[in-house]
Amino acid sequence: MSNVKIKSKNLNVYYGDKQALFDVNLDLNEKEVTALIGPSGCGKSTFIRCINRMNDVIDICKVTGNIEMDGMNINDKDLDVVSLRERVGMVFQKPNPFPKSIYDNISYGPKIHGKGETKNELDQIVENSLKKSALWEEVKDRLDEPGTSLSGGQQQRLCIARAISVNPEVILMDEPCSALDPIATAKIEELIDELKKTYTIVIVTHSMAQAVRVSQKTGFFHLGKLIEVGKTEKIFKNPDNKMTQDYITGRFG
Amino acid sequence: MTKEERLKKRHRAEKRFRFYGLTSIFVALLFVVILVQNIFSKGSSAFKKTVITTEVFFDQELLEIQNGAPQEEIMEADFYDVMIENLIKAYPAKDRDEEDELLKLFSGDAEIEIKKAFLNDNNLIGKTITLDLTASDDIDQLHKGNYPRDLPEERRRISDFQLVIYDYFVENKKISKNFNNYFFNNGDSRDPELAGIGGALVGSFYSILICLLLAFPVAVLASIYLEEFAPKNKITDFIEININNLAAVPSIVYGLLALQILLATIQLPRSTPLVAGITLALMTLPRIIIPCRASLKAVPPSIREGALAVGASKFQSVFHHVVPLALPGTLSGTIIGLAQALGETAPLILIGMVAFVVDIPSSPVDPSSSLPVQVYLWSESAERGFVEKTSATIMMLLSFLIVMNFIAVYLRQKFEKRWN
Repeated sequence: MSNVKIKSKNLNVYYGDKQALFDVNLDLNEKEVTALIGPSGCGKSTFIRCINRMNDVIDICKVTGNIEMDGMNINDKDLDVVSLRERVGMVFQKPNPFPKSIYDNISYGPKIHGKGETKNELDQIVENSLKKSALWEEVKDRLDEPGTSLSGGQQQRLCIARAISVNPEVILMDEPCSALDPIATAKIEELIDELKKTYTIVIVTHSMAQAVRVSQKTGFFHLGKLIEVGKTEKIFKNPDNKMTQDYITGRFG
Repeated sequence: MTKEERLKKRHRAEKRFRFYGLTSIFVALLFVVILVQNIFSKGSSAFKKTVITTEVFFDQELLEIQNGAPQEEIMEADFYDVMIENLIKAYPAKDRDEEDELLKLFSGDAEIEIKKAFLNDNNLIGKTITLDLTASDDIDQLHKGNYPRDLPEERRRISDFQLVIYDYFVENKKISKNFNNYFFNNGDSRDPELAGIGGALVGSFYSILICLLLAFPVAVLASIYLEEFAPKNKITDFIEININNLAAVPSIVYGLLALQILLATIQLPRSTPLVAGITLALMTLPRIIIPCRASLKAVPPSIREGALAVGASKFQSVFHHVVPLALPGTLSGTIIGLAQALGETAPLILIGMVAFVVDIPSSPVDPSSSLPVQVYLWSESAERGFVEKTSATIMMLLSFLIVMNFIAVYLRQKFEKRWN
């Protein structure tokens, strides 16, 4: 039904001597939400950080194997990470708005990529991004207030707006709701539902319920290995693997 | 031990701890108060100078110049005779010896002071004006009450006859205290009543300016590179350890280094603010790098990741986000480093700034003194007048340090951004 956007083949990641991912083969479909679940330290975050090469920041991290987006090798040493990250945005576990105004938070990305040459265009991008992240109505009158003055849930939506401001193709979300209350979480989930029409989304979550609610495809990681991947419905109703069964029913994790 | 006893013991321990804390704060404050009180009581009188109100008649025969004479002619004219003729009239002296003693009550600059009055108004020939002439150091100290007059005459610097003249001046209200402009405008002098910190102020200013211009950019760029760009390996570890070591190296070692390299090898001019500034920059560099790196480190990694994730390059993430956030800490670290450099004495003594310099430096390559060295120089002088000068210089130095530290704290609190 849908095209494969990102394809990983025998992906291995090492932090120094410690291997964090073992031969991960995972396909992510275009304009679909893929949830990655699994106990802490199982490699879910490491995997999504491979997609926008955020692991480059960590000196001791080494990645081998293949990971492709639309046939382009992401792991290529000569790839320009700046243009990769323009196409693959990321939202982090803890909301991390820049300590600048709401406007500057969103206009920063387009500015450095040379999008929005005039003030008008930039205003338009900021407005569209805030509308897409369902924050516009709440902040349209105070765009010059610092982003850090917003509530936790608003800050996270601001970060989502910041990610979509550069018009990426893929959005990576690393436990985006773990620091939020249920109401803010519900808003973000609604938003994810809306965003999947335009973007390919990968979300790491510790909440089974959230995975069921937002995703079409789910991958279960354990100790650095991708144990099982499939349609979300199938994974949660009728998993093939005993370990998956145990994890989703809360027997370990 | 019962539960209640244990609880009581815990409360007692807490009370004891509070008591210790309060005591140590009190002791520390006591020392500060003693120090400040000591400096103030000794130094505050230096901001006033004793002047003797004297009538001066500008006699054409003695001066040999005309009214309206051009400035160069006045500068060259001899005002010595005019000075003598007028000063000996200040008190009805009987003979030559008494006149000599009378003249000694005025400062060595009396002639220049009279000349200056004429420079201000060159139509004074044949007229009489009253001038406030600076008194000699001995009269100055006597008038300020720093000099005991009940000693036997042979142990006093002021003779009995001079005391009589002094009392005559006091009685006729001819002696008074004015604001001591010499203290701020003059360079060093052998005569305490004429000595000032003008030269030291300018010297310190040039030194610190050069120190800032050299140390700040190097330190900030070095800390940004080490903290944000350098790979973490054995070499950077080694550099880090040695920066910490360098910050702890006694300042006199930097003085020796400067003596060998800057003066002996490169042959830069001795005793100059240029050499002082370079030496202080060397010494201050590690002391600025350490707080700079600390403030860069204090910027949460999530800010860097946020910038990188929207596609900023490493350079952009550092200079658009991390550095502006670290700037308040960087600036306050720099100012505190400079404040330390301002108070530094030992390396400056080694590079020859301890020389006796009368002229106020007009550029960083003129020989000069600096505030802390001036304190050191004057504290060794025998004349009583230098005691108050020493304390007053310390007051100036301390007030500069306090202002700088205040600016540092202000910058940090005003511009520090909160993140969560």
